[in-house]
Amino acid sequence: MDIALLGNPNTGKTSMFNNLTGSYEYVGNWSGVTVEKKVGLLKKGTASLIDLPGVYSLNPLSKDEGVVTHFLLHDSFDRMLNIVDASQLERNLHLTIQLLEFGRPLIIALNMVDVASKRGIEIDVEKLASQLGTSVVPVIARTGRGCDELTEFVTTIESPSITSFTVSYGEEMERAIERLARMLEGKVNHSVRWLTLQLLEGNHYVKAYLQSFIGKEELEVFIHDTSKAVLSNVEEKTIDHFIYRKRQAAIGALLRNSTYTEQENKQPLSEKIDAVITNKWLGLPIFFVVMYFLFMLTFDWLGFPLSDMLDGIISGPITNGLESFLSLIGASSFIHALVLDGVVAGVGGVLVFVPQIFILFFFISLLEDSGYMARVALVMDRLMEHVGMNGKAFIPMMIGFGCNVPGVMAARTIETPRERMLTVLLTPLMSCSARLPVYALFVGAFFVSHKALIVLSLYILGIVVALILAKVFSTTILKGETSFFVIELPPYRIPQGKALWKSTWEKGKGFVKKAGTFIFAGSVLIWLLSYAGPQGLNVEMDDSFLAMIGGLFAPLLAPLGFGTWQAGASLLTGFLAKEAIISTMNIIYFVPDEASLQGLLINSFSPVAAYSFMVFILLYIPCLATVATIKKETGSYKWTGFSMGYALLIAYLLSFLIYQIGTLLGF
Amino acid sequence: MLASLKIGKRVKIIDTSGTDRLVRRRLLDLGITEGSEVCIKCKMPFGGPFMLESCGQCVGIRRREAQTIKVEEL
Ligand SMILES: Nc1nc2c(ncn2[C@@H]2O[C@H](COP(=O)(O)OP(=O)(O)OP(=O)(O)O)[C@@H](O)[C@H]2O)c(=O)[nH]1
Ligand SMILES: [Mg+2]
Repeated sequence: MDIALLGNPNTGKTSMFNNLTGSYEYVGNWSGVTVEKKVGLLKKGTASLIDLPGVYSLNPLSKDEGVVTHFLLHDSFDRMLNIVDASQLERNLHLTIQLLEFGRPLIIALNMVDVASKRGIEIDVEKLASQLGTSVVPVIARTGRGCDELTEFVTTIESPSITSFTVSYGEEMERAIERLARMLEGKVNHSVRWLTLQLLEGNHYVKAYLQSFIGKEELEVFIHDTSKAVLSNVEEKTIDHFIYRKRQAAIGALLRNSTYTEQENKQPLSEKIDAVITNKWLGLPIFFVVMYFLFMLTFDWLGFPLSDMLDGIISGPITNGLESFLSLIGASSFIHALVLDGVVAGVGGVLVFVPQIFILFFFISLLEDSGYMARVALVMDRLMEHVGMNGKAFIPMMIGFGCNVPGVMAARTIETPRERMLTVLLTPLMSCSARLPVYALFVGAFFVSHKALIVLSLYILGIVVALILAKVFSTTILKGETSFFVIELPPYRIPQGKALWKSTWEKGKGFVKKAGTFIFAGSVLIWLLSYAGPQGLNVEMDDSFLAMIGGLFAPLLAPLGFGTWQAGASLLTGFLAKEAIISTMNIIYFVPDEASLQGLLINSFSPVAAYSFMVFILLYIPCLATVATIKKETGSYKWTGFSMGYALLIAYLLSFLIYQIGTLLGF
Repeated sequence: MLASLKIGKRVKIIDTSGTDRLVRRRLLDLGITEGSEVCIKCKMPFGGPFMLESCGQCVGIRRREAQTIKVEEL
């Protein structure tokens, strides 16, 4: 049995999904966290649950909303579980009505009853259920209260009867529904009532669907006739508004005798917090302070000492242990070198940064779960408008600081295609967590007294370049008038320890996993390439295959200050994953730990060349996984190619300027 | 017009016909339409967006859009 989770954005669908399936999908306190369909198996029973993006109505504006309509039209499922936010019942029921019109078995989970009761809203569940003709189960998805009952209910109930509840849209509409039914001649297995209403509301997905059965002209005539007939003796000017009004009236009647609201209570806490966070003058400074703290904790105050400690453990006890173990079992010198100079250097060099990565992800999760993300979008909108984007684009960018892949995906919630494309193209310029280790290594060697400042300058450079390019692109290749900004600001929620840890772990897990698989395999390969050469095995590193490959790029990189085969080879692996740069360097420079690598680096880079190298790494190309995501999201090889091409060009240009001017000035 | 309203004053929306189609549709999704009671919570500086509140729900919209929404005092 397949059960689809449907509901308004940010009502707790994914929280419910995680609770019922025991898996973990992305949860956050803003609208549009889930942007694609996810399937999971129920903990109890054999049914599968399908998590979908949140929608306000089935008539989509953005791409993530389109996922839901497409799902309803083309995928098969047995039941719908409608998650309804009890504290915003009126608005949520608009979707419920559309789902009821869709005409499949539906069960309502009344979520966030805790929030509702805090706001003084009391809901008579029985009455609501009997009026709607469906089952209504009150739950709290966050804590899991009522979830067991819900599972029990959803899976065991024989076949929930299809409700008789209907909104009456008047005689003209009923006639139109009959007319469409005749036109379709029973060729579709969706409810004709639902199809008619969606079509008249302007749902493009439904229109396209119907056009595969009915001629375009004929359909247009139908829409025109019906609109005219329905609107002839009412005050509404458009048919979609008319339909909305009818539903609104039905919901009003429904709520009048099933809910009770305590009159005007005190100002909610959320609004008090907002008086400061989104204060006219404090908003922007607060944002910068928050980002500064996040950065300093990750990089300097907390992250650095922890990483140093881990480095000590890996290069000390672990390496020594492995060494004695290999000698004990009498491993050949080849295996010896492979394990210690290849795997330990390559994988260990990356694992050292796990603490910093986790601290970063912890703070990103904290921001996501608190409700601050939507506020950032509000505060940044004016600036973004100047460069041809909207404030919502800042959410994908913030996510991009963790990892560019979910960042690019998050752009789906941006309604206008032009702004969405801009966001997809520019999010990879945000300095992701995998780039952090590279900076850490280099500032440790070259800028010991200004570590944090130098790294901060790179993060800011990424944002500044993105904003400038946004302006350039939006006035040249991605021109267009339409810019659109309406954002829902969810109430603040205090993040819960367990959920926070889960969300941090899920994000950080990828980094550890990658180190154990991708980086592991890569390290072995890189080491082999550095061990073998045209003259055979165990050659001098400078005569190895790796040196030959890296050497191809060296002349090109010379004007940037790092024209060595080592830099060339590292940059090449950096395309596969940014942190592979570290592995490659560790292997090439043939050192046991970070500190000695830093010692060696000083001989091959000047400080200004090191900075130019870091800038190049920041910008030069989205990593392979990001490129694949860009391809998936834009659906175009041209734009994917462009995203790599412009990045390379900008990186080359900036590094060139930095190195040449820096050298001229005598750094 | 909504844009010229003082912060914290509660009003009723009477006409949104001059508003951009997409914006109107999104506001409708959020339950803000003709007849809704709203109040402005804050205005961002330098011509930035506004934060509205309606039925306990906060929404951010641009100043340009707020200038097209007609309201009347309660
Ligand atoms: N107080 C309270 N908070 C909840 C409840 N259920 C979910 N939340 C919180 O609501 C926020 C949104 O939860 P999600 O599960 O991401 O919501 P969603 O419906 O999947 O959202 P989209 O994917 O954006 O459509 C999170 O911060 C949750 O912790 C609940 O019953 N009570
Ligand atoms: Mg979700």
